[in-house]
Amino acid sequence: MSAHAEAHGHAGEHHGPPTANRSSRIDATTLGMLLFIGSEAMLFGSFFAAYFFVRVVNPIAPAHWPPAPFHFPIFVAGVNTVILVTSSFTMHWALQSIKRGDRAGLKAGLVSTIALGLAFLLTQGIEYAHVGFNPGDGAFASAFFGLTGLHGAHVLIGLTLLTIAAVRAFRGHYTPEHHHGVELPGIYWHFVDVMWIVVYVTVYLL
Amino acid sequence: MTTAAQHEHDTPQAFEPFGPRARGFLLRAGWIRATWCTALFFLVGMFIVVGSRAIFDMHPVYNWTIITLTGALTMAPLGFLTGIGAFDYWFYWISGRPTREEDHSGHGAKAWPDYFRINTDHKVIGVQYTVTTFFFFVIGGLMAMLFRAELAQPGLQFFSSQTFNGLVSMHAVLMIFLFIIPAFAGLANFVVPLMLGAPDMAFPRLNALSFWLLPIAGVMFMSSFLAPGGPFAAGWTGYAPLSVDSPVGSMFFNMGVQWAGASSILTALNFLVTIITMRAPGMTFWRMPLLVWANFTTSLLVVIATPFIAGSQFFVMFDRVLHTSFFVPAHGGYVLGYQHIFWFYSHPAVYIMMLPGFGIVSEVVSTMSRKPIFGYRLMALSFIGILILGFSVWAHHMFVAGMADWLRVPMMISTLLIAVPTGIKVFSWLATLWEGKIRLTTPMLWALGFISMFVIGGLSGIFLGSVPIDIHASDTYFIVAHIHYVLFGGSVFTIFAGVYYWFPKVTGRMYNERLGQLHFWLTFVSFNVTFFPMHYIGLRGMPRRVFDYSNQFGSLNMIISVASFVLGVSTVIFFYNMITSWTRGPIASSNPWGAHTLEWQVSSPPPIFNFDEIPVVVGGPYEYGVPGARHAILHSAPAAEEVHA
Ligand code: HEM
Ligand SMILES: [Cu+2]
Repeated sequence: MSAHAEAHGHAGEHHGPPTANRSSRIDATTLGMLLFIGSEAMLFGSFFAAYFFVRVVNPIAPAHWPPAPFHFPIFVAGVNTVILVTSSFTMHWALQSIKRGDRAGLKAGLVSTIALGLAFLLTQGIEYAHVGFNPGDGAFASAFFGLTGLHGAHVLIGLTLLTIAAVRAFRGHYTPEHHHGVELPGIYWHFVDVMWIVVYVTVYLL
Repeated sequence: MTTAAQHEHDTPQAFEPFGPRARGFLLRAGWIRATWCTALFFLVGMFIVVGSRAIFDMHPVYNWTIITLTGALTMAPLGFLTGIGAFDYWFYWISGRPTREEDHSGHGAKAWPDYFRINTDHKVIGVQYTVTTFFFFVIGGLMAMLFRAELAQPGLQFFSSQTFNGLVSMHAVLMIFLFIIPAFAGLANFVVPLMLGAPDMAFPRLNALSFWLLPIAGVMFMSSFLAPGGPFAAGWTGYAPLSVDSPVGSMFFNMGVQWAGASSILTALNFLVTIITMRAPGMTFWRMPLLVWANFTTSLLVVIATPFIAGSQFFVMFDRVLHTSFFVPAHGGYVLGYQHIFWFYSHPAVYIMMLPGFGIVSEVVSTMSRKPIFGYRLMALSFIGILILGFSVWAHHMFVAGMADWLRVPMMISTLLIAVPTGIKVFSWLATLWEGKIRLTTPMLWALGFISMFVIGGLSGIFLGSVPIDIHASDTYFIVAHIHYVLFGGSVFTIFAGVYYWFPKVTGRMYNERLGQLHFWLTFVSFNVTFFPMHYIGLRGMPRRVFDYSNQFGSLNMIISVASFVLGVSTVIFFYNMITSWTRGPIASSNPWGAHTLEWQVSSPPPIFNFDEIPVVVGGPYEYGVPGARHAILHSAPAAEEVHA
């Protein structure tokens, strides 16, 4: 529904727009978020395509992944996976809390999700510093930094959205009926989480 | 994503009745704030580069070019958007202050300065888009005339070879990313909500943001002329590794595409949500005008495909700035990867540039021949067919690139298959025209011109889709001929059809019919003289994108160049007609063409909120000549004319 559709025809010189018909049960903002995520998934798709070209299609692709003498810190990234998956649960907890009207739960859930997200980024930063190669060390490194970096950027976007939700939560917004501002960043956060699992499996494990 | 949350009223009881605080002229959203914010963000961007290098113990100021470019190409545009006011509401919302009731202060235009600020009215945005894109059309056209002057004779006359390449690349980029794609978005912005019976787009503020991203991209592309080493010159396709190694001007292309792409994705998302959630009662998918269908499928293409060009340009930039080796074979990179990723966007993009035109032509043909669209459902389904098949043909651009041999034949088959839904459309228009009461008004002339020219372009496409012919014709002027028959004779003709068709609706005034017809015929003839000979010189072996050529092509190229100047002059007629008619043309009635779709059932120009009450749709949009048929019932619209057959 549009902003105009929501003006309630209050008194004043503004003659407001008619209320738009709702031709679908799905809520407009949720649909917008889902489409945006679809587009984001395709952006990941292009990075996976680049990875696929470098690792599989290329006739001179390295026999080992990553090529000797390098290796990926599978364990550290595994810990990071656990951190991120946990944060999906805390996010879910935040949303369920506000649905029950439990504001304290909402705040705690959001804050712990943000903390876990920050922990993830920090770990990734440390991993980058100690991984033993840098983006200039060959196409495998390009694919590695490309995919993990793209994902890191998305964690950052997700964290920004969550921070906004948290600011608003602490300033008294959101009710059991109105909590899109929590739900939508939540959907995005789960997407970021799922994407990480895909990245982890393809880049580190396979 | 802030977009998703923009209309939320979490605490509806608390709102400020006074709207935004009054601010001093430096802080008020607008051009002054945009100026200093752009400068400020530019400096911040430079500082981020220097600062992060300092943090990582690298020499902080190692390369001024990269430092200034990062500031100019990434942060400065954000500063501009902040300053012009694109984010004001969201900043307010983010701060968590009480929710503000929408006061519609940014909606609608009362005087011309309103077109130069953030506006949330889809009609204003539609005009902003269309006017901006025609501005870039002029610039792109002038560039074409410059390099046609160079090409009039063999040898180098006026420019350096690098400048020539730059002009050719810039011409294509402006025409594609700043004219055709956004011009369709502009027309659709104006028309689609009206056609659906909606008061506006689903996300009006996002709509404003999408528009303002566009001039940023345009200015960025053009300012690459100022870059050291000249503008980007690797063609609009920007193939790696050439684009990685060429002068920094090509970063303006890499980043400009990102801003233009963000603009298209956000608009497409907005169209999709609007079409899905805001149709008037009774407006089922099978009652939507074909223009809406066209924009629905186009938007899906945009949302799905555009991220791939974003990706391809990111990789090129990474290879240059971060020294990665996505496309550096010596370090294990895969050069052809660029082309695969690029064409996975850019083939669907040719449909992004064509489907909205199909929609416009369907409206015009049906209205002007007073007949229902022949095979309406098949028309709608063929959009879907093109949408799906469009993703399976990208490698027909790479037949000679050295890609895997086994990919050729499947790509050839799918390319020939996609001609089927396209052919369905052409036959449906012809059948719609059949025994119609045809009125040869200017929009109709453009529509008919489009159908004939597009068939020629489609046929040369089929030639090129066949591997053996393509091997001979690839990278010659035959491709240039194909492109221009589909993009100029195709897309641009439909844009003209749309502009003339909706001109009375948008401006409330009528254009000059005689000048319109003159414009059409002059363009039609000079277009053919310009581009038809290119088929021939292409097949005879004249390569595209080269400033020099063998003497045997001299006279034909001279003819082409002269015709291209006539083509340029013909647009002057167009602009003269548009400007004078807009300012003092005769007042147009609300429905001069007697069309059935909803935008014609309201006044011209439409009321500020489109409808007083949402109309009720009771039938198909094209029931011309069907006794008793109605498309919609309007209650108290200001110009509620009976829908007539
Ligand atoms: C029946 C439909 C079509 C077929 C079978 C077709 C086929 C092809 C093929 C095979 C090529 C590659 C030629 C080469 O580089 O060797 C090509 C190039 C091209 N086509 Fe089409 N095409 C069709 C319609 C269109 C349409 C509707 C548009 C745009 C509105 C379009 C725009 C282009 C452009 C821009 C290029 C050149 C790209 C470049 O710069 O290299 N085509 N087409
Ligand atoms: Cu193609």
